[in-house]
Amino acid sequence: MAEGPGADDPTTVTDDADRLAQVMAEIDDEVRRQRASGDLPARVERELDELFLQHSPVAGHGGGLDDALRMVDAAAFIDPVVPIASNKSGGAVVKKGLRTLNLWYIGYVTHQVSRFATAVSRSLHLVDERLQSLERQLSAQRLPPAEVLDVGWAHRPDAWWVPVAVDAVSSVPGRVLHAASGDGWLVRALGDRGVDAYGVDPRPGIVSRAELEGTDLREEDVLEHLRAVAPASLGGVVLSGVVDGMAAGERQQLLSLLADRVAPEGVLVLHSLAPAAWSSEKAPVAADLAPGRPLRPASWASVLGAAGFDATVPEPATADDYVVVAVQRPVPRPR
Amino acid sequence: MSDPAGHRGGPAAVHQFVPALIPRDATGSHTLLLRQALRAAGWRSEIFAEATHEELVGESHPIVAYDDVARPDDVLVYQFSTSSMVAEYLLGRPERIVLDYHNVTRPDLYGGWDPEGARRSTEAFEQLGRLAPRACLGLADSAFNEEDLRRAGCRRTAVVPVLVDVQRLDAVPDRRVLARLFAEGEGADWLFVGRLVPSKAQHRLVEALWAARRLYDPHARLHLVGAAPTPRYLRALRDLVDDLGLTGAVHLVGEVTDDALAAYFAAADVYVSLSVHEGFGVPLLEAMAAGVPVVARRAGAVPATVAGAGLVLERDDPGVVAAAVHRVLADPALRAGLVAAGRARAAELSLADGGARAVAAIASVAGAPR
Repeated sequence: MAEGPGADDPTTVTDDADRLAQVMAEIDDEVRRQRASGDLPARVERELDELFLQHSPVAGHGGGLDDALRMVDAAAFIDPVVPIASNKSGGAVVKKGLRTLNLWYIGYVTHQVSRFATAVSRSLHLVDERLQSLERQLSAQRLPPAEVLDVGWAHRPDAWWVPVAVDAVSSVPGRVLHAASGDGWLVRALGDRGVDAYGVDPRPGIVSRAELEGTDLREEDVLEHLRAVAPASLGGVVLSGVVDGMAAGERQQLLSLLADRVAPEGVLVLHSLAPAAWSSEKAPVAADLAPGRPLRPASWASVLGAAGFDATVPEPATADDYVVVAVQRPVPRPR
Repeated sequence: MSDPAGHRGGPAAVHQFVPALIPRDATGSHTLLLRQALRAAGWRSEIFAEATHEELVGESHPIVAYDDVARPDDVLVYQFSTSSMVAEYLLGRPERIVLDYHNVTRPDLYGGWDPEGARRSTEAFEQLGRLAPRACLGLADSAFNEEDLRRAGCRRTAVVPVLVDVQRLDAVPDRRVLARLFAEGEGADWLFVGRLVPSKAQHRLVEALWAARRLYDPHARLHLVGAAPTPRYLRALRDLVDDLGLTGAVHLVGEVTDDALAAYFAAADVYVSLSVHEGFGVPLLEAMAAGVPVVARRAGAVPATVAGAGLVLERDDPGVVAAAVHRVLADPALRAGLVAAGRARAAELSLADGGARAVAAIASVAGAPR
């Protein structure tokens, strides 16, 4: 925008972000002044919001159940005494007459509607109280989602299991997802082999800190990402640092998503610490805080089998970690 | 059917597919302008549409007509902005597909206002998820939209501005509309152009106007131009206007012709957008091209489209919006700067440049025209 002497000289336009920032700061000052002076208190702005919400089927700007209940309460009484103001001469008198004539009937109907609405309102408050009680109980029992485990000695290009994973997904039908991808070390290794791969990692900043030239990495929760992609759209998935500390519920969600998102004959490679290593000094500190613990390789093979994969467990090179390679069974041909 | 292009058996082509070809609609206009650019670059190019507005009959062919002229090395550009049978048709085609993505409003933004709209949106995202991995290229008119394509699995993407012929608004404005707007007397004219739907948040504009009339300009008016496809939202908006005593100050204009739209831009003192979701924001570009200063809420692609040529607000509180609009109207230097910067920004997104960029991107997968 312009930094110049005025409206007569727009030729001095410059793209001056500082000047715009200054204008925005001055607008904020003006708003604070208006609110402090009482010309437009924050209360009035909230009332404006509520006015519209009275007409809205949704909570709108982040309004919750409390807001909705207040609106129900406010609307639960139906007033049979309708306004009679009129701009027309004699209009108010006519309206008053009509109101008087009809009030016995309208009053009877509105009384019943008001009683019904009040009963609904009371029921909703009871439901709200029960929900709040349930939320408190649930909150005390809720297991946090497993964090990505950072296992430096296993999550690196020269780890023993990496060639196994790269070979397994090198000729799959579609894109390959690596989660959690860190700075993209495995995505680049897969790219070097001609595999169309990309990575997802939920840890804040790790993607933006990485050197991203030519590497497709996204900062995103792994389960959320899998929910966002289309069914059967992934040719392969490599999981490392993701499943080790998962609780049973989260693991079940992951399995369901993988079964749906991996294409027929697509490949899943799953790297995990071994149960024995979980409690050893080799495990990261986060292992102690995780909601779950690693499964044995045979257990993974079993649950993957039930989810529609044919799983194998290549001979591990160490006793501390293992991989499971699972192929999504092809869709049976109709007879 | 007969070969619509008259080139059966001829060289490969870049054809476009669109669910509905509608005049004065962002996607419809873009489709027509892209065809013009493709043909100018030497491509054979036709439009195949599931539905065509009566004003544009003759500009497109039925979708299935493509079966008669298909060639394996054709490139099919799908103008994606809603759910459609076109997606299912293209998923069954072997030719190369380019997805030209114009954004889909998220289902949650329909809330309880428009359950059918929410259903269509969910279906559109599901179709996007199946088409994106199949596409050899995804075109997005903003980085915001590009992210949708990447999330859906598009392996190769490019950002190319939506093609907008802002010069059509240089035509003589509708005199009757202009005379009526100028006859309304003192007070600033606020303008917003877009469908009356909850995600465009016209109700927040009404609230901001109420605050502005109370604080700064008791005669300010708001003109809301655009179709109203959500009756429930329109009813609520009218009720709000009544509740706030703004009948006569808020004009729900409906759809207008290009001439009338030019009149609204000519009469507007400020263009205000409080939309919570914009994949590009064509009217923002049109306002800037028309020399109307822009005040807009930060949402979706708005900051990228405006690119420093307007006031982008972090909040849409009525007091904040009212203060921002007042500042633009009361500060001649700021106003002149925004107008000049807006015109420069509109020139950057010019049709010629956008058309060339779109053609270059498509040529990167289609090769040279033969």
